[in-house]
Amino acid sequence: MTARWEPAGTTVLTGGGGWFGRAFLDAVAHPRPEHGPVARDGQVRVLAASAAEVPAILDVLPRAVVHVGDVADPHVLERLFEGAAGASVVHAAGVIHPARVADFDRVNVEGTREVLRAASRVGVRRLVHVSSNSAFGVNATPDDRFRQHEPYRPYLGYGRSKMAGERLVLEAAASGDTSSVVVRPPWFYGPFQPARQSSFFTMVAAGRFPVLGDGAQRRSMVFVDNLVQGVALAEHAPDVTGQAFWVADREAYPMAHIVATVAQVMREEGYVVSGRRLRAPALVGRLAERADRLLQDRGVYHQSIHVLGEMDKTIACDISATEAALGYEPRVDLAEGMRRSVRWCAAQGVSLAPRRAER
Amino acid sequence: MTYDVAVVGSGPGGAVTARECARRGLRVVVLEEGAWVEPGSAEPYSLDQMRRQYRNQGLTVALGRPPVAYTEASCVGGGSEVNSGLYHRADAQVLQEWSSAHAIEGLGLADLVPWFEAVEERLSISTPPGPMNAASDVLRRGAEALGWDGLDVPRWVRRDAGAAPVKQTMLRTYLADAVAAGAEVRSGVRVERLRLAGDRVTGVVTDREVIRAEHVVVCGGAVQSPALLQRSGLRRNVGRGLSMHPTVKVLAQLDEEVNDPADLATYQVKEFAPAMTIGGSAGRPGMIALGLSGTWDRDRELGADWRRQSVYYASIRSQGTGRVRAVPGVRDPVVTYHLTRRDLAALRAGMGRLMVLLSAAGAQLQVPSYVGAPRVSAPEQVGPAVEAMSRAAAAVMSVHLCGTVPMGEDVRRSATDSFGRVHGVANLSVNDASLLPSAPGVNPQGTLMAVAHRNVDRLLEGSR
Repeated sequence: MTARWEPAGTTVLTGGGGWFGRAFLDAVAHPRPEHGPVARDGQVRVLAASAAEVPAILDVLPRAVVHVGDVADPHVLERLFEGAAGASVVHAAGVIHPARVADFDRVNVEGTREVLRAASRVGVRRLVHVSSNSAFGVNATPDDRFRQHEPYRPYLGYGRSKMAGERLVLEAAASGDTSSVVVRPPWFYGPFQPARQSSFFTMVAAGRFPVLGDGAQRRSMVFVDNLVQGVALAEHAPDVTGQAFWVADREAYPMAHIVATVAQVMREEGYVVSGRRLRAPALVGRLAERADRLLQDRGVYHQSIHVLGEMDKTIACDISATEAALGYEPRVDLAEGMRRSVRWCAAQGVSLAPRRAER
Repeated sequence: MTYDVAVVGSGPGGAVTARECARRGLRVVVLEEGAWVEPGSAEPYSLDQMRRQYRNQGLTVALGRPPVAYTEASCVGGGSEVNSGLYHRADAQVLQEWSSAHAIEGLGLADLVPWFEAVEERLSISTPPGPMNAASDVLRRGAEALGWDGLDVPRWVRRDAGAAPVKQTMLRTYLADAVAAGAEVRSGVRVERLRLAGDRVTGVVTDREVIRAEHVVVCGGAVQSPALLQRSGLRRNVGRGLSMHPTVKVLAQLDEEVNDPADLATYQVKEFAPAMTIGGSAGRPGMIALGLSGTWDRDRELGADWRRQSVYYASIRSQGTGRVRAVPGVRDPVVTYHLTRRDLAALRAGMGRLMVLLSAAGAQLQVPSYVGAPRVSAPEQVGPAVEAMSRAAAAVMSVHLCGTVPMGEDVRRSATDSFGRVHGVANLSVNDASLLPSAPGVNPQGTLMAVAHRNVDRLLEGSR
C-alpha cells in the first residue's frame, strides 16, 4: 500500500438519498476513526433521485450541493459533473428492491454507463462504484468464502444488473478511460436503514423471523460505517484502479447467530423480545427461490419472496485482499453495529417492538 | 504351512504391513490379485498401463446420478505403481474432524508425525529442484495472478546425482524391504473369502488353495476390502460410508506447448483446501480425447493441437456417500455413490474457479468436460458454462476412495477399532484407505501409509 491521495477538491456522490449515501454524508459531516479517510473540506455534490430526498440529505450534510434527477439521464449528469475535473466520484445509486424488474437495467446498468460517460468527459480522479455480492451468486458450502477474483454467477435480475454495472466500470478502468475501483458490500446494516430493515428487527423481536434449516448457513454483513471506510479508502488509494474489493465485517456470521445477536441487543435495549424462534426447513428457501425466479421471469419483483429465497444460502466473502491492498480494517462488529442501528431507529421514532414497562 | 501374517493386497497399506511384520521376524505372505509389473515397464498414464495395472482396464464406475467414474489399480504395489506420486500429509483439521466424529484414539497430527517422517524418509519425498514443467507453470501463473495460494507438491521420487529421477513405488521400496526381510509376495492370487470360526479367521480361501495364518490383514483398498469382508459374512458397518473426491475437468488450450505426455502438473492450488483443490491431470492424447468426449462432435479436431493443451481438474471434499456391495456370484462388487445437491454446487464452483484461473494464466480456449458443454474463450463465458452443467450432463470422476471400513471406538458407526482391528474378530485387521472415515481433501496415500505404520506398530506391540 502506497501513500494515500489528499482529499479531492470536489466530491460527486450519486444515490445520496439512499441508505449508504446518507451514512456516507453523515460521516463526512462527523468523521470518526471507523470511517477511514472520509473527511473532506471541498465541495460535495450529491445526486438525489427525487426532490423528496433532499431534506434528508441536507439534514445530515447541510453544505451538500444537491442535484435532483434520474441517474440515467445524461442532462442531469452533465450538470452534476460540470467543472468537476479531478473530482472523486462515489457512484452509489442503484435499485435493489425495485417496483419492476426492468428498473434493474435502467438504473443499475444504464445509470452506471451514463455516470462513467459523464465522469470520463470531465476527467475525474477516481470513480468508486458500489456493487454487490449478488453478481456472484451463493457459496457452495457454509465454509466457502468468495475471494477477490471469482466468476460472475449472478443471482437473478438484481445480480445480473450489478454484474453488468461492474463490467462497465472495470472496462473503463482497463481501457485507461477512468481510474475506477469496485467496492462490493454484502447485506448491510446500520443507521439510515430503510423500512425493510426495520421490519427485520420487528420480526426478530416477535420471534417471527424464519431461520431456515440448521441456521449454519453464513452471511457476510457490513456495518454501514465499515462500508464508508472501505469506500473512502478506495477513493484515495492510488494504485488500485481496475480492482474490485469485498468490503464487509471481518467474519461471516452464521444466520442463527445474526438472529440471536439482534434479539439479544434488542432485549438489552429494553424491547420486549419473544423467546420463540421460528424455524423452517431449508426447503422453504428453495421454494421461495423458485417462486422468485418465476415471478422475475414475468417482470414482477416481490421483496419478501426474494429475501426469503436467499435465507437458506451462504453468501460470504473474504476481505483479506481488501485489508492488504487498501489497509481496510473494520472496526465495528455485529453486536455493536446492531446496537447502533436499534438506537438510531429509536432516535428516529421508528417503533420496532413494544418496550418493556418502565419501573 | 502356517504363516504368522497373511496380508491381502500389496498396495501402500499392505506393503507397509508386510515390511513391518517381516522385519520383526514374522513369517509373512502377501496375496495380490493383480500382476507383477516391473516399475518402468509400462508407459506411465498410457493405455498399456491401464490394461496391465488397473482393474477392468481402468473402467470402473460408481453408479448414481450422475455416475462417478473411478480407477483402481490392480497390480503388485497397487496405486503406488500407477499414480502421479504426489505426497501430502493429512490436514490437522481433517484429523481432528475424524477423531471427534468417529471417536478415534491416537489420530492427532502429533501422533502421526513420527510415522509421516518414516514414510517421507523411505519414499524420498522431495520437491524437484529447478523450474516446474510447463503444465504446472500454467497453474502457478494463474494462481499468482489471482493471489491464490498453491504449491509445487512434493513427490515420492528419488533424485540421485547424474541419474534420471526414479518414482519410489511400493515395489521399489516397502515391498522390496519386505521381501528382503523374508516376506513372500504372490501375485495373481485372488482371495475369495475368509473362513471364520467363532471369533477367529481360520483360513484365507484363495482361487487356488486355503492359506492359514495367525493373523490376517486385509489391505485391498476401499472397494475390495469391504467386498472381501462382506463375502466372508462380516457386514456390520462394512461397505457403507464410501467417500471420494468428486472431480470435474477442463481442457485448456494455451499459446505455448504445455503438454509432456509422460508427466503431469505437480502444482496444486491450495487456496480453498481442504474443501477444494485445483490441479492438473495426465495429458496423453488419449486422455485429451477423453476430456473432449462430452463435446466430441464439435471438438474432435481440437485434438490435433494436443501439444498446446492440458487437462486440469477441480476436486472437492464431498458431502455425499456411497456404498460397496458384494453380490453373490459376481466377481466385482456393485459400487454406488450419491452426489448431494451441495456437492454439485461445489463442483460447479470449483469448475468456475478453475476456468477463471486458466483464463488468468492465458488460456485462449477452454472446454469444460461435460456433455454438451460450451467452448469458453472469454472470462464472462465462465459463469454460464458452469451453470449449464446439470446433474444429468455432469461428467464426474474420482480417485482417492476411502471410508468403507471405518475405524473408531463407536461400534455403532465403525467396523474396526481405532487401530484397524475388526470388531468381534480376534485375528483380523484392515489396514488401508478403507479405514479413513472420509476422503481427506488430498491424495490419501501419505496419510494411509502413516496410519498403516501406526496400526501395525500397535498390532505387533499387542502380539509381543
